[in-house]
Amino acid sequence: VTDKATLLDRLYTAVFDGDAAGAVAVAKEGLAAGIAPTELLFEAMIPALEEVGRRFETGEVFLPEMLIAARAMQAVMDLIRPLIVQAGVEKIGTVVIGTVAGDIHDVGKKLVIVMLEGAGFEVIDLGINVPGDTFVEAIRQHRPDVVGMSAFLTTTLPELARNIELIEAAGLRDRVKILIGGAPVTQLTVEQAGADGFAPDASAAVRLTKNVMGVSSADDS
Amino acid sequence: VSEMTSRQRVLTALQHRQPDRVPIILGVSNATGLKVKPYRRLATMLGHAPSERYLYEWPELGTAAPDEQTLVRLGSDVRGVLDREPASVLEANANRPPHSDYINSWGSGATEVRPGEWFPTVCPMAAATTVAEIEDYPWPDMDDPTRVAHVAAEAAALAADGGYAIMATPWLLFPLERAFAMQGMDTFLMNLALYPDFAEALLWKIESLCKTLMGHFLEALGDNVDIIKIGDDLGTQESLLMSPAMYRSILKPVHADYVDFIRQRTGAALFFHTDGDVFPLIDDFVEMGVDILNPIQTSAGKMANLAELKSRWGDQLTFCGAIDTHRILPTGTPEEVRDEVRRVIEILGPGGGYMVSSVHTVMDDVPPENILAMVDAVDEFGKYPIGSPR
Repeated sequence: VTDKATLLDRLYTAVFDGDAAGAVAVAKEGLAAGIAPTELLFEAMIPALEEVGRRFETGEVFLPEMLIAARAMQAVMDLIRPLIVQAGVEKIGTVVIGTVAGDIHDVGKKLVIVMLEGAGFEVIDLGINVPGDTFVEAIRQHRPDVVGMSAFLTTTLPELARNIELIEAAGLRDRVKILIGGAPVTQLTVEQAGADGFAPDASAAVRLTKNVMGVSSADDS
Repeated sequence: VSEMTSRQRVLTALQHRQPDRVPIILGVSNATGLKVKPYRRLATMLGHAPSERYLYEWPELGTAAPDEQTLVRLGSDVRGVLDREPASVLEANANRPPHSDYINSWGSGATEVRPGEWFPTVCPMAAATTVAEIEDYPWPDMDDPTRVAHVAAEAAALAADGGYAIMATPWLLFPLERAFAMQGMDTFLMNLALYPDFAEALLWKIESLCKTLMGHFLEALGDNVDIIKIGDDLGTQESLLMSPAMYRSILKPVHADYVDFIRQRTGAALFFHTDGDVFPLIDDFVEMGVDILNPIQTSAGKMANLAELKSRWGDQLTFCGAIDTHRILPTGTPEEVRDEVRRVIEILGPGGGYMVSSVHTVMDDVPPENILAMVDAVDEFGKYPIGSPR
C-alpha cells in the first residue's frame, strides 16, 4: 500500500511539475506493478492537473507552468488511453471542440482539451480555422454532449452565432450544449450568439462542461 | 490656451502638462493603426480615394498607410516613420506564387487563412531547445542598408514641416514576441519553464539583433524623432503571460538593456506597447524608463481601473490608447463611443499624460461612423481644462 501511495505521489508531482518524461516513467512503473490505469488517472494525474488549474485561477501559476503540466498529462494519457478504453471505463461525456473559421488561436483551447480529457471526457479536436459545416458534420458523426467553440478575435466572434445557426438549421441544436470561449467572449456574447455558456479559463471550462451536463464537480462536493 | 501645433500638443502632454486638447494618435503604427478594410470604408465615406499603401510596404500585415487627408480628418497629432524588410525579401515575396506563405527575413512567416487575412504560422525554430541551435540558426542581416535607406529622408521631411510629432516604429523589435514568432507561442512559453537557459539565450540573441537594427534606425533618424516605439505583449485577458518572478528574472533584464541602449542614443520618449492585463508589472516598466504605456487594454482585468492607473502612475507615465476595441468600437453606437471617449478622457486626461487611441489596431468590424465618433468626441470633450462646463 505504501509503495502504491508513494508511486501515486511521485506521479502527482511529476505531472504538477510538468516533467513529461518523469511522469511517463512513473506511470509505466505503476502499470508494471499492477496499478490500474484509472487509478493513476484519478488518484494522481487529475488531482495534479486540477491543482495546477486552481493555482492558475488564483494567479499563483501562469501559462508556462500550466502548459508543461498539461503536456506531461497528455504524455501519460497517450500511454494509458488505450488501456482505459480497453478496460471499458465509462467516460463522462463527449466534447467536440474547435477554433472557428478565420481564427488560428489555440493556446487556450489546447489547455481546455487536456483538462477535459483529464476530467474523463472524450474530446474530439477539430483543430483551428474550422468551418461551420465541419462542426455540424462532427455533431452528426460523434454525437457529442457538448460542442466547444473558440474565437480570439472580435472579427471572428460572429462565426459563433453563424455556427450555432447552422447547427440549428441542421436540427441538431437541442442535442448538444454549446459552450464558447476566447479573449473577447463575455456573457453578452453568449446571449447574442445563443450559446449555453462561456468560461474565462480552462479550469472553469471543465466545471462549466460538467455543469451543463448535470454532472457534479469534485469542488462542488 | 492658444492653438498649438500637433507636435507641441504631444510634447506638452508627454511632459505631463496640459496642452490645448488631448492628443490623438491613429494610423501611424500597427498597434495604433487601421486595417485596410475599415480604412478604405472610412476614406470612401470621407469622399477621397483611399491610399493603396500598407504600413511597412507589407500587404500581408493588412494595416493601411492612410492618406494624409484621412490622417488630418482623424486629427492624428503624430506621423510615423517605419523600417522595411530588406529589399531582397520584399522582392522575393512580391514575386512568390499568389497565396503561398509569406516568409520574412527572420525565416518566420504567415499563412493566408482567409483571402487577404494572414496569420503567423511558420515557426522555423519550433523544435529548438539548445543553445547550439541558436548559434547555428541563419539569423537575418540587420546591417542590410535597404532596411533603413528611406528613414533619414522621411524623418527629415516630417521634421522640416515641423507640425507633427514623429514616432518611429521598427517592425516588431520585441524580444518575447519575436521568440513566439520563431518557436510558436505555446512552445516558447513551455521552453521558458522547461529550458530556461535556452529561452534566456534566445531572448538575448534576439535582443542583440534588435539593437543592431535599432542602432541603424536611430542613426538615420538623428534628432528628427520624438517617440520610439517598442514593446512585448505580456498580459492575457485576466492575468500575465508569465509570473512576475519569471518576468523579472528572465525577460526584464533583456527589456532593461534594450531600453538603456535606446536611451543612450536618443532623447525621444520611449513608447512601450504591451497587451492584456499588465497591471502587476507597471512599476517595472517605470523603473526601466518607459515614458508611454500602450494600449491600456481596458477589457483586460485590472487595466479597467483607469482611475487607479492615473492616480498611481499618472505622474510617471503617459497613457496611450484605452478606447476599447473588444466591444465599444466594433459593436457600440456612435453615441456609446462618444460617451466612452468622454469617460476615459475625464479620468486619464487631467494634467496631460494621455493620448487617445484605439486599444490596438482598428479591425474590420469597426464602422467608420465609430472611428469618427471617437475623434470627434476628443474635439468635444478633450479641450483643456477637462471636464469644465463650456
